[in-house]
Amino acid sequence: MTRARPAVLVGILLACAACADAGGGAAAKAPESGGVKSATGAAASALASNARIAVPRPGPPGDWPMPGGDYSNSRYSELEDVTPANVKSLHVAWALSTGVLRGHEGQPLVIDHTMYIVTPYPNVAYAVDLKTEGQPLKWRFRPENAQAAAGRACCDVVNRGASYFEGLVIYNLLDGHTVAVDAATGVERWRTRMGDVSLGETITMAPIVVKGKVIVGSSGGEFGVRGWLGALDARTGKLLWRAYNVGPDKDMLIDPSDFKPFYAHDQGTNLGQTSWPGESWKQGGGVSWGWVSYDPALNLVYYGTSNPGPWNVRMRPGDNKWTCAILARDADTGKLRWVVQVTPHDMWDYDAVNENILVDLTVKGAPRKALVHFDRNGYAYTIDRVTGEIILAEPFVHVNWSTGIDLKTGRPILNPEKTTQDERLVKGICPSLEGGKNQQPAAFSPQTGLFYVPTVNLCMDFKARPVSYIPGTPYIGADAPEMLGAGGFGGEFIAWDASTGTKAWGIKEPFPVWSGVLVTKGGVAFYGTLDGWFKAVDAKTGTPLWKFKVGSGVVGNPITYRGPDGKQYVAIYAGIGGDMGLLIAGDVAANLPYDVRERGTTLPGLAKWTSWGGELFVFAID
Amino acid sequence: MPDLRTLRALVPHLLLATMTAGATGVFLRVGLAPAANVVERTSQSGAGAFAGADSLRFVSHPETYPVGWPAHDRPLALVNPYERNAQALATGAKLFVSYNCVDCHGADGNGAIGPSLADGRWHFGGSAGEVFESIYQGRPDGMPAWGGRIANDQVWMLVTYVRSLNGGRNVSTENFTGRAVERSGH
Repeated sequence: MTRARPAVLVGILLACAACADAGGGAAAKAPESGGVKSATGAAASALASNARIAVPRPGPPGDWPMPGGDYSNSRYSELEDVTPANVKSLHVAWALSTGVLRGHEGQPLVIDHTMYIVTPYPNVAYAVDLKTEGQPLKWRFRPENAQAAAGRACCDVVNRGASYFEGLVIYNLLDGHTVAVDAATGVERWRTRMGDVSLGETITMAPIVVKGKVIVGSSGGEFGVRGWLGALDARTGKLLWRAYNVGPDKDMLIDPSDFKPFYAHDQGTNLGQTSWPGESWKQGGGVSWGWVSYDPALNLVYYGTSNPGPWNVRMRPGDNKWTCAILARDADTGKLRWVVQVTPHDMWDYDAVNENILVDLTVKGAPRKALVHFDRNGYAYTIDRVTGEIILAEPFVHVNWSTGIDLKTGRPILNPEKTTQDERLVKGICPSLEGGKNQQPAAFSPQTGLFYVPTVNLCMDFKARPVSYIPGTPYIGADAPEMLGAGGFGGEFIAWDASTGTKAWGIKEPFPVWSGVLVTKGGVAFYGTLDGWFKAVDAKTGTPLWKFKVGSGVVGNPITYRGPDGKQYVAIYAGIGGDMGLLIAGDVAANLPYDVRERGTTLPGLAKWTSWGGELFVFAID
Repeated sequence: MPDLRTLRALVPHLLLATMTAGATGVFLRVGLAPAANVVERTSQSGAGAFAGADSLRFVSHPETYPVGWPAHDRPLALVNPYERNAQALATGAKLFVSYNCVDCHGADGNGAIGPSLADGRWHFGGSAGEVFESIYQGRPDGMPAWGGRIANDQVWMLVTYVRSLNGGRNVSTENFTGRAVERSGH
């Protein structure tokens, strides 16, 4: 997990060679300077879309039934009323305050004309009646939720959303519980304690429900916890299996007879234990706080694991398996079928928890069952989701810690100048610990064949230091100030062709793009910005079409649904926070002359454009 | 809540605390500090101020007293034995890293997981006694209780360091104090 920079806050240091000619300070300029479109690579309109969503959405296209829209995590909607031609008429239809002023990651659900919302801590849930004018609440559910969790969450007290199963709204609480709430009444049906918040084990991820099983993963990679993925009976909350992400094969639910990693370095016995010194795997991190995908034909769930702990790599020589890896588990038993460790022996906090989007597409002339993954380490991976083979891996942002991915071994080729094992100050590592992209999920359109990716253009300096494990406190051991990367912009909204590993076009933004993406059959892609814009662009060409300034920075994920009146609506949370926006959402230092908070931050100027918030904005065309 | 009896027993010790802090470094393991001296308080200086008082208070908030509150009923002020002590401040800065405070509160206390200690916006008060309380007994939103885990002298050195970060300011914050409101908006 990324945690907020332990020793950041030193302002923009354009220290790295890659940044030497950067303009610098673009983040302090007006956000109107964002939206510069730069076409690079093939024109999107020329792409023949031979790619398709592997697992299309079940149920009515006007609902938003699960966190990523479907099991593929495509975030694509068949709704097509809103088009590039009419999107400029989009206006606010209604809005709702959640009453909570922290980072609103995640997205609502819409099922049968009811919207379900989960707030950041204290994780209040709302059911909103879409059939009645004024959108009254059907119910509000306030869970029991230990307050200590608020101080044990590395990167703001976020929640990434709920899932729905047979009349139950199921989601995770920051204090380590999973709860199921009756969708009709708001009454708690069951609760299961999955994590120990006293050790810093929290839960922020959105569960998915697969064949009546709730798939849940933990957070706390900055607190020396040991990561796991678990499955609960959706009807009762009973634990069905729990698979650790580090440790001996028995705990990992590895059965040698059907465990088939593609690459040699991932093959062997008890690697989750022997690739660590001594018993350090017990505080090894490798939590699973990101998105989960599911392929019913293969009956595999896909997810990624976080950084190892601590960040100081001198304390953990070895590959540290299976941190920073992508895993495929049998949905019924939890048994590990394959794994690919994309960043062995991570030295940069490059969690691999970002979403895995399941698509079938043609790569190098051959049709492949693939998953597409935009990793924190800056590489976009197109991986065979049957075998775990990396079909191609190309950088989607500026990368200098590595010179490429060796497709024979599956391992990155390291740049020795950017390794951090010596406790020396290493300058100008790109991407920064926030990654080329963080948890904010990309979207895929089968119409264009393109992936729409929110990216981050930050680099960092890194200096490891000794650290002691003290239960319940951070276990990090490094200082890593961040700064804008080359070009002086904070992030870019890009369109990516995963069959060739090339960027089709991009829209530069003054701040890191920290919202998820929605793309529709109408041909429009939606995303939001940290400085509070909600934007629509042409999915084919990347032409900016429309924007609206919402009440706070956007770190949530847009969705679309069909209302009872037959109209298409588009919804987004406004509520800055999460790792990048924590500097504003938390009571931490800002850099404003009229603010009492004084020292510089990674994103000076951001607080000028936005402030805390917690609102849902819903848009429609008359 | 802290154990009142423990705190009472500690008071004379705190008042008489000496400047015998150990040097710091990397703590591979945080064990229990030596048990606080339990001193019979009947004969101690200042004991009369709280003798027999179940409403024992260490930190003064006179604005919260009801009208007509007896003037002689003063809270017992906690005195930092290391106030403005440069050596203690330097040691406190090292402890701030060694005990992983830095990874929650940020470099120079600028804030990260936990709130900033450098902006003068105190959630639980910025006096020496209030900061001591925050470190000693912890806070409900995740601040660990360090009382009994590290020596009280070290807590005071941390107080000295933390209070040096903000220029002595004490300003209001929208992140105002309260059990459920704190840091969550609720």
